[in-house]
Amino acid sequence: MSVTVQNLTYRYRNFSLRIEHLQFESAKMTSIVGPNGAGKTTFLKCISAILPTAKGSLFIDGRDIGAMRENERARLLAYVPQEHASAFNYTVLDFVLMGRAAYLPIFSSPSPGDVTIAQEALEFVSLGHFASRLYFQLSSGERRLVLIARALAQKSNILILDEPTSFLDPKHETEILALAKKLAAEKKKTVLVTLHNLDMAVKYSDAMVFMKEGQVVAFGKPDDILDEALLENVYEIKMSIIRYDGRTFIVK
Amino acid sequence: MKPFIRRACLLLAAGLMAVLTCSLFAPLSTAQDQRTITDSLSRTVTIPGKVERVLSLQSEITRLIVALGAADRLVGIDYFLRTSDRLFRIVYPLETRLPLASMADYNVNMETLIRLNPDIIFGAPEDRQVCESLQAKIKVPVIALASMGRFDKLFEETKLLGDILDRKEKAAELMAYFKEILGRVQNVVLVEPPAKKPRVYLSFYGSLTKTIVNYEPVSAAGGINLAQNLLPPSLGVDKTVVDIEQIIKWNPDIILIHGNYPPRERIVTVENILRDPRLASLAAVKNKKVFYTFGFWNWWDMGQVLVETLYLAKIFYPEKFADVRIEREGNKIFKKIYGLDSVYSSLCNILKCDEWAHE
Amino acid sequence: MNKQRPHALSIFVYLLPLFIFLLSLCVGTVHIPIKDLLKTLISPIFPSLKQGLPANSLNIIFNVRIPRLLLGLAVGASLSVSGASLQALFKNPLVNEYILGISSGAAFGASLSMVFLGGNIPPQISAFVFAIIAVLIVLLIARKSDSPIIALLLTGVIVSAFFSALLSLVEFLASPYELQALFNWLMGNLWKAGWTDLAISLPLIGVGILVLVLMRWRLNVLSMSDEEARSLGINIRKEKLLVIFLTALITAAATAVAGIIGWIGLIIPHLVRMMVGVDNRKVVPMSAALGASFLMVADNITRSFASFEVPVGIFTSLIGIPFFIVLLRKSKKAWL
Repeated sequence: MSVTVQNLTYRYRNFSLRIEHLQFESAKMTSIVGPNGAGKTTFLKCISAILPTAKGSLFIDGRDIGAMRENERARLLAYVPQEHASAFNYTVLDFVLMGRAAYLPIFSSPSPGDVTIAQEALEFVSLGHFASRLYFQLSSGERRLVLIARALAQKSNILILDEPTSFLDPKHETEILALAKKLAAEKKKTVLVTLHNLDMAVKYSDAMVFMKEGQVVAFGKPDDILDEALLENVYEIKMSIIRYDGRTFIVK
Repeated sequence: MKPFIRRACLLLAAGLMAVLTCSLFAPLSTAQDQRTITDSLSRTVTIPGKVERVLSLQSEITRLIVALGAADRLVGIDYFLRTSDRLFRIVYPLETRLPLASMADYNVNMETLIRLNPDIIFGAPEDRQVCESLQAKIKVPVIALASMGRFDKLFEETKLLGDILDRKEKAAELMAYFKEILGRVQNVVLVEPPAKKPRVYLSFYGSLTKTIVNYEPVSAAGGINLAQNLLPPSLGVDKTVVDIEQIIKWNPDIILIHGNYPPRERIVTVENILRDPRLASLAAVKNKKVFYTFGFWNWWDMGQVLVETLYLAKIFYPEKFADVRIEREGNKIFKKIYGLDSVYSSLCNILKCDEWAHE
Repeated sequence: MNKQRPHALSIFVYLLPLFIFLLSLCVGTVHIPIKDLLKTLISPIFPSLKQGLPANSLNIIFNVRIPRLLLGLAVGASLSVSGASLQALFKNPLVNEYILGISSGAAFGASLSMVFLGGNIPPQISAFVFAIIAVLIVLLIARKSDSPIIALLLTGVIVSAFFSALLSLVEFLASPYELQALFNWLMGNLWKAGWTDLAISLPLIGVGILVLVLMRWRLNVLSMSDEEARSLGINIRKEKLLVIFLTALITAAATAVAGIIGWIGLIIPHLVRMMVGVDNRKVVPMSAALGASFLMVADNITRSFASFEVPVGIFTSLIGIPFFIVLLRKSKKAWL
């Protein structure tokens, strides 16, 4: 399932986002990188229809996202926020179950089938045994995984993750990115993530988008577009790209 | 010239000094200029012997002062009498000359009171704090006085007011008249054995289940107040709320509704009670013996409570008082107390009390 | 988590209102023996049983106790469900059912009726109308805002304050007699409502509670942040308005016939969450059952307590709050 961005503009106070054309393909994981304030999160929220945008700027397989009903869109596209706070201490399973909202009419409660889907999503993120645990008692890494499980329960082909690795230790960081990659490679989903860690971005992404001041500066496979001039342009500091042992490292 | 002026000034200064010194040593008021009395809150208050300017913040006292013929000494009127009392302006048409001395809930403006310059102030015993602070701040003696719903206290305060205002004869006259009217009723009803006395339920203060534990006109008129044993008198509280099932269980013969205001302001009405399905089994409802009565209205007006007692006696014992015409008797009572004609008829125009007993 | 215990507990709570209703039929100043009580209950179907019943049994049971208990059931359930739903909607367990200005609006409406309109418009209707007006004002003022939840809460506080001020003005202008009557109304009671009041308010409350119970799982999703709820596929504007409308309807209807009975919408949902967790699929219906039971029991106590009757609204506050504090301290579970 592909996501097409066409002449997307979004203005908020002093900031404006302008993207002329981008296309994200299925079975690929694309990472969006750039300095703080570049508009990465805003961009993701526009795609996810959390922020209102003009019709005719965002398409899924040719269908205008702006013209879709909420639940229609949620069946195609799942968004995992960076920050999350809940006022209530739900069980992990009840939490993941909320991902089925797009499939349930307003006066319905989840069926056993929905519960099975939620349980399977939990197992996919290796938290199957956490079903009865309470959300507040989880570590932040575990909470991230639960949020991803909820997005998986939506059974959408497009998965958007906003800074899924922030505040995580290296082990969890790797786990989550490996998971995202797996979802793209094995489950053929279209995965979009925003990242700060360029090394990880380069390692896991099939494609990268560099953003600066609300605009796309570069887009393509990491090997194709990565060079020191680009990095200095985007991040305004000198960085070196070192290739060693088949891996790429970016050193500041 | 200069030495003359200097001497004149010295003489003037000496004279001033003498006057000042004399005034410092001037004796305080002599014993005969003062008296001490005990008020309803058991406070001992010292008041001047001669009282010319009187401010009463307690409605019942104001009414008595008018009845005693000392209305010209009033310097102000309280909020309740001015806004909620329909009777007062009938018995004292000149009340419009009186400035308003208090606001709702006994709020007083100290400066207004100082400006009115009373010799004494009568306050409400319900609010001890206001009485104390008034006396402390304005330095005018404050007497807390009210009958609190008891005839004997009504007599006491009438006598006390007569003494204070030097209207002893009129006070004695009023008390004698009160006892005479009361006597007329009691002579007839007291011979009734308790079993024959009508059992009465009072609905006061805007709610069916709110009642008064002690209402003397009812017992004076030969009725039994069903709520009379509900609260111990030591509690000092006379209102209480009962459960509607209790009313059904009592099965009163007569129901009296608080009615001292015009029909459009009624909340609990005779029609509502007669139509209420829960009360349909009551003797009072079946026999249509549901009536309005005056009740407390910041305690009592002496004339009104006398009429009320007579009116209740007629309701309780219709055959024994068949010849009594309430409107005629009412006008007579008010004429005796306030010296004005047709007071009760004027009141009936407003409260429609002439329609109460379906005469 | 032990799956068996919650089941038994749930069944107990759902059956509780029925038990309490039946038991409460025996409570009252007039003593009616159980045998006569049962005969009275069946007598509409078998009129021959009416002979031999003590005087007043029929009247007391059908005109005094049953309406009173039905009202307690309906009001207790509606206030609890309303509180639980609004707590989910506002993502805040400290929200109560009156937060959108309903109690102040209703109080003002009742005062207007009692002081100025005489008997022409009954206080129930006036209270209901102004309660709804208060909510509409809140929705109108808060509609275009960046942070709708906070806007709603703040506007609710402001509109409540406004109607309270209006109420004070009416109280100032009222005669002492009207003031007494008004205070009686404000303190909440269950005995005044007759069958006519019930005939109008019970269906409204019943329908409202039913729809909210149907939406109970949806409330879980709505308790997430607006962003998340939207990304999960919910039209939050529409569904939030629906929840607010329903809670306003049942709370206004309950307050219009019973006066202001506080704290139930706050305490009962908390109690339920302490017992079974925060999942609204359980919290909403159980709050209805527990709230109904609580209010019926409170009413029983206030009318048997002494020779006088304490208004039930005072009782729910005086007893409910300390009870709640004790429970809060005893509960070691992290239920919030």
